[in-house]
Amino acid sequence: METIVNSRIKQVLKGDQNAYGEIVELYKDKIFQLCYRMLGNRHEAEDVAQEAFIRAYINIHGFNQSKKFSSWIYRIATNLCIDRIRKKKPDYFLDAEVPGTEGLTMYSQIASDTDMPEDQLARMELQEVVQKEISNLPEKYRAVIVLKYIEELSLNEISEILDLPLGTVKTRMHRGRENLRKRLKNL
Amino acid sequence: MSCPEKYFAYMHDFLDEDISEENEKELMEHLRTCPACEQHFKELKKAIAFVQSTAHIKAPDDFTSGIMANLPKENKKIEVSR
Repeated sequence: METIVNSRIKQVLKGDQNAYGEIVELYKDKIFQLCYRMLGNRHEAEDVAQEAFIRAYINIHGFNQSKKFSSWIYRIATNLCIDRIRKKKPDYFLDAEVPGTEGLTMYSQIASDTDMPEDQLARMELQEVVQKEISNLPEKYRAVIVLKYIEELSLNEISEILDLPLGTVKTRMHRGRENLRKRLKNL
Repeated sequence: MSCPEKYFAYMHDFLDEDISEENEKELMEHLRTCPACEQHFKELKKAIAFVQSTAHIKAPDDFTSGIMANLPKENKKIEVSR
């Protein structure tokens, strides 16, 4: 696959824009899936995945062809997803007092990360519940969990994609798994 | 309930397929005698299985054409003249 991709990249560099369409075809499902699992929303996933491919195209001159294109496009897409998640974060502070209450902070308004009410669980499809809990993971854990268990990448590839030492990837993987364990153990 | 931390580290090393034979043996022996740790390990594996079981979804049909229509034009070899 990498050989095909590299020959298409050479065509793109020569100005053949259509060759880029073939590269997109090869990776679109993987990148869309990554964005969907990171963002939990199809519309946003499509938006971010398309942006990732457009950015890759614009910066294709800077791509080092001795490296894997897949790692590069994964990195661009993951970073865009993380940016998007951070922008979405509400701008209130968790330790601010809730108006009209005495000493009640936003912390107490957040469901604990253990149980969801049973009736709420029953109304949701299993797939939705799992996606919701993936979406509830802090983004740095979410990225490693999605790359490993949905995209099925090795820890070494993940370390390359995220530009993090292998040890850091492992630590995040461990914490991400423990976090998910608590969220999903009652299913 | 207060088993040494190392067993939790071993569980994750095992899940990362990065555990020495010696540590794996030690972990398995411990799990046989400690229901709490065995339960913990089961829950970890279950959580992973749930994540892996999410259906794989495909990009929308017009995904590629949407990108091609939005690429910057300057690199196009042959511009269609209007």
